Amino acid sequence: MSEYVIEMCNITKKFPGIIANDNITLQLKKGEIHALLGENGAGKSTLMSVLFGLYQPEEGVIKKNGQEVRIKDPNDANALGIGMVHQHFKLVHNFSVLQNIILGVETVRGGFLKMDAAREKVMALSEQYGLKVDPDALIEDITVGMQQRVEILKMLYRDNEILIFDEPTAVLTPQEIEELMKIMKGLAAEGKSILFITHKLNEIKEVADRCTVLRKGKYIGTVNVADVSKEEMSEMMVGRKVSLNVEKDEAKPKDVVFEVEGLTVVNKEHGKKVVNEVSFQVRRGEIVCIAGIDGNGQSELVQAITGLIKADHGTVKLKGEDISHSSIRHRNTHGLGHIPEDRHKHGLVLDYPLSYNLVLQSYFEPEFCQGGFLKYDKINQYAEKLIKDYDIRSGQGGKTIARSMSGGNQQKAIVAREIDRNPDLLIAVQPTRGLDVGAIEYIHRQIVAERDKGKGVLLISLELDEVMNLSDRILVIYEGEIVADLDPKEVTIQELGLYMAGSKRKGAQ
Amino acid sequence: MKNFNKITALLLSVGMIGSLAACGGGAAQTSTPPASGAPVSSGEPSGVTEDSAGNILAADGSFEIAMITDKGDINDKSFNQGTWEGIKNYCSENGKTCKYYKPAAATTDDYVTSMEQAIKDGAKVVVTPGFLFEEPVYLVQDQYPDVKFILIDGNPHNADSSDYKTADNTVGILFSEEQVGYLAGYAAVKDGYTKLGFMGGMAVPAVVRYGYGYVQGADAAAAELGETVEMNYYYTGDFAATPEAQTMAAGWYTSGTEVIFGCGGSVGNSVMAAAEASSGKVIGVDVDQSSESDTVISSAMKGLSSAVEQMLDHYYNDSFPGGQNLTLGAADNAVELPMATSKWNNFTQEDYDTLFSKLASGEITLKKDTDAEIPTDLGCANVTLNYIAE
Amino acid sequence: MKEKRLGNPLQHTGVQNVLAALIAILIGMLVGFVILLITDSSMALKGLGAIMTGGVQDMKNVGQVLYYATPLIMTGLSVGFAKRTGLFNIGGPGQFMMGAFAAVYVGVKWTFLPGGIHCLVAILAACLMGALWGVVPGLLKAYCNINEVITCIMMNYIGMSTSNVLIRAYIFDRTKNQSLRPVDGANLPKLGFDKIFVADVGTPSSVNAGILVAILLAIVVWVILSKTKLGYELKACGFNKDAAKYAGISEKRNVVLAMVIAGALSGIGGGLNYLAGAGTGIAVGSELAQQGFDGIAVALLGMSNPIAIIFTGILMAYLTVGGLAMQSYGFVSQIISIITSVIVYFAAFILFFSQIIGKLGKRGGKNDANANADQTPPAPPVQTEKGGDAQ
Repeated sequence: MSEYVIEMCNITKKFPGIIANDNITLQLKKGEIHALLGENGAGKSTLMSVLFGLYQPEEGVIKKNGQEVRIKDPNDANALGIGMVHQHFKLVHNFSVLQNIILGVETVRGGFLKMDAAREKVMALSEQYGLKVDPDALIEDITVGMQQRVEILKMLYRDNEILIFDEPTAVLTPQEIEELMKIMKGLAAEGKSILFITHKLNEIKEVADRCTVLRKGKYIGTVNVADVSKEEMSEMMVGRKVSLNVEKDEAKPKDVVFEVEGLTVVNKEHGKKVVNEVSFQVRRGEIVCIAGIDGNGQSELVQAITGLIKADHGTVKLKGEDISHSSIRHRNTHGLGHIPEDRHKHGLVLDYPLSYNLVLQSYFEPEFCQGGFLKYDKINQYAEKLIKDYDIRSGQGGKTIARSMSGGNQQKAIVAREIDRNPDLLIAVQPTRGLDVGAIEYIHRQIVAERDKGKGVLLISLELDEVMNLSDRILVIYEGEIVADLDPKEVTIQELGLYMAGSKRKGAQ
Repeated sequence: MKNFNKITALLLSVGMIGSLAACGGGAAQTSTPPASGAPVSSGEPSGVTEDSAGNILAADGSFEIAMITDKGDINDKSFNQGTWEGIKNYCSENGKTCKYYKPAAATTDDYVTSMEQAIKDGAKVVVTPGFLFEEPVYLVQDQYPDVKFILIDGNPHNADSSDYKTADNTVGILFSEEQVGYLAGYAAVKDGYTKLGFMGGMAVPAVVRYGYGYVQGADAAAAELGETVEMNYYYTGDFAATPEAQTMAAGWYTSGTEVIFGCGGSVGNSVMAAAEASSGKVIGVDVDQSSESDTVISSAMKGLSSAVEQMLDHYYNDSFPGGQNLTLGAADNAVELPMATSKWNNFTQEDYDTLFSKLASGEITLKKDTDAEIPTDLGCANVTLNYIAE
Repeated sequence: MKEKRLGNPLQHTGVQNVLAALIAILIGMLVGFVILLITDSSMALKGLGAIMTGGVQDMKNVGQVLYYATPLIMTGLSVGFAKRTGLFNIGGPGQFMMGAFAAVYVGVKWTFLPGGIHCLVAILAACLMGALWGVVPGLLKAYCNINEVITCIMMNYIGMSTSNVLIRAYIFDRTKNQSLRPVDGANLPKLGFDKIFVADVGTPSSVNAGILVAILLAIVVWVILSKTKLGYELKACGFNKDAAKYAGISEKRNVVLAMVIAGALSGIGGGLNYLAGAGTGIAVGSELAQQGFDGIAVALLGMSNPIAIIFTGILMAYLTVGGLAMQSYGFVSQIISIITSVIVYFAAFILFFSQIIGKLGKRGGKNDANANADQTPPAPPVQTEKGGDAQ
């Protein structure tokens, strides 16, 4: 009997023009939590897809318990006891928890479902692994954390031995993450083997036994997590030293540049106040961060400030001017810079070339437009300048279609555009979402630089690390209300999590 | 929507080709294997074959008679089809060859283009059904003096109708539709119907003539019987079967109308559908429509195919009436009610013959489309006309 | 990396699109040929030859191609322009009919206008009327968020019926059940085309100044779309209306404007068609103007590129003339409808074809991941790592 429950030996998987996995070896011991670390595009997903039978590798073999196996499709994987919790859950929303768990492996007698046996098994499993769920609740009624438990139970119900977690913490609150970590440890203790895909070093440190690092499709190494520091792991991942903490001086806030008072947005569909009497100020030279769990009104707040949606009441003042009823164009040209939450939806016209996108907020200025005609030479010059100044990497310079650029460079283009317009207030909504460590570092530095130039910065983030590292002041939003005004130096992540979950409030107006 | 049309066209065409192929196959059994298609006439020298489109061609693909279609297709159950059937009938019986062309659009230029194409392909006689060909024939007739033109339902003239000219190589044919309209109206009233309807298609001259004759016939019969009859009179403005036309016809039947003269393309089909639902009666038009619905009690026929056959016969017997504009009516046996298939209760063959001979001899003269602006101007005292303007 | 970009023409999107369109046409012709074979195998080759060469059989046919192409280019531009701004203008038939009515009305009634001006005013009237028919769906889309496809279809029927009513009321030729024809002074000038495009014997083609107007307008549309601020905004709305809104572009205004322009283009198409002096009035009937729908095919095949639309419009017209020529060999002209429909059908696969061509072009040049917007998850884009290296 082999020491390893699953071995992927010398796997090579090529796609036209690219080697997604180049001679990668991954060995998973029974009962261990094994992290798979790498940046976006490092080949983690491809490797897991090979293991799950979605792709056939050109070279290399997969062994289960030392025996070579062929995995032609996900059914084979399932038969071998391999299960996966996908990043985006695959659940039927108007089915109950129990129905979702047995979906696809229903036992029937005479055409009728045998629900009782299934229920017993699910209850036993949830007891055994501490996965508390209500089997009769509908998926649409339970929290994201609960939904994840349902996904885990689905794997357990199918008697899977090898559990793959694909970026499981991306959607969870700190408390839920803590719960998940506990659950994972419990599963491992019960003899399950876990593959944990992530790029968050804290989590690896907390739960993983060993860690395999990939970079650009290549195998970099496998380490015992206990033996290495986070910095070492990130260096393996990125290929150079990166600073994980944002280096910044103490904020020197000056006069108030931006002011929101009593801002309220009512959702037209269900009539609830999604932004409820929000008031705050941002001063020049400070980064104010609005922290909160996704869906607590951050998007609506920002959209009301930037004019994308109409506020029901309340005022927004920029440099003392009431812009509550101004057009979007007016706001944009009078000192508001906005790095939007969704760079594909709002930030870029993906089918436009990079140069067009870089003037999306200024193409109408006399500098670029005369008599209704655009001055393409000027636009191109400007684009080249931004590309150079902000180190935006693209295949064909300004002519590159934005869609074909990587996420990090797309985001850099947006940041460049918004910062170069020299706004008085920069609103950055989740500016590093989905980016790799290098790009995150770069964007953080730019934001801090803006602050140091005396701009006000309003940061909206779901990433607690980012909130703690970057902000000079934290406002916590919960169900559309600001429930706390905190100093990042005086609050712990745990505490912050409690405010975000709505179980604590303080200091808010 | 376009795609839908195209796809429909595709399916239809595929179906059509299938059926055509089947026809060819069926005919082929009766003869020696030909190069393509099958011989049409066993009595004639071999080599005359019918191709996939229904053209009758010589072995080398040549032909002598060409027809250009008007708006609509060769199988429109109306003008194009009637004319084409006459041509084909003549060809089958006399071993002649014919072919039809469909222009790209209904413009004078497009008609001219198709006529020239036909002539270029070797046509010696060009048959053009419909008044829309008046101008194209006017333009082309002088350029091709060796080609004969048969213009049905019109007389050649120029664009603004300032010059009418029928060249020596052209014959223009009109019909006395008013005479057969008269027969129908007369017969209906004689037969005991007192509430009549006329539903015309577009108010083109031929349709108007049918209508006016119908009113006058009803009037004459009513006068003889010493009563007055009621008549609804309407042009739908379209040659298509539309729900509107059907609704209106149904309304007429509901309010007491007993028989409607459905006059113009597929309008008659709308009337028949309404009649079937309301147990009303219908008088058909142009051809014997008794087979299309049991509600058809008679049809006001004009001898399209026979007129074409006559002209072709004249051509091949060197008696082509070039330069003439003919108006064919009862005297020429070019109009009739098909008494054999008619369902009259009181109106007898004898009545019909008497009346017909009066029309043929000129004893009865009728007002035509050019004599009255609207039917109420016809001065028919025994018909209470309810003229519904378009 | 630079030399690689120049190296392979298959990587150029323009080349890909042209090739893809050609593939669509080729498949259409092949299917057509198969149908010809089934119909009458002995004549199939001749029939195919007629389709291919009918349009250049003689100078008249060349002229006819340009004549038939004129309205198709206009409706194609209309659909293509709207497409580029994110709207599906299926209202071409209504706009076309109303434009035609306006032009013919002016052409018949306003005889006080002098020769040259008369025709310009008639076209202008067509333009305005088409724009009016376009603005309604535009306004409903912008301010009531009603799908323009539905309103456009409704406007088609309203346009058809309205033009029927108006023709009957003002410019009716009851003996032909169609509108009167515009007076000669209102017709588009022939510009000597009637001397050039003549059959070997006899009559000239119907081609006239309209084709030049259509080409000119195609160029104008191209300039608007690719050179102006308006075009920038319209396309931004078309590609991503959220981003356009974010950038302060008034999406509502652009939707209305786009539909107005699209409607005007179709309307002009109707005007040009009936001011051609080809000898017809507007038929009164219950059929929607086919040219309006054909515009969709023309735009689709031309990938909504105004310059390409000139050529696809001419191509469609060429096939029409080819279909007529085919009748000389005893084929019904409906076969040409089948062929064009197959071409249009495969035109819908143009994107697919151009991707395949792109992939073929990529084979061998493996580092050119940038050239293709391939976002399939299995192939991690190389440049992510490059971005990561950014300092």
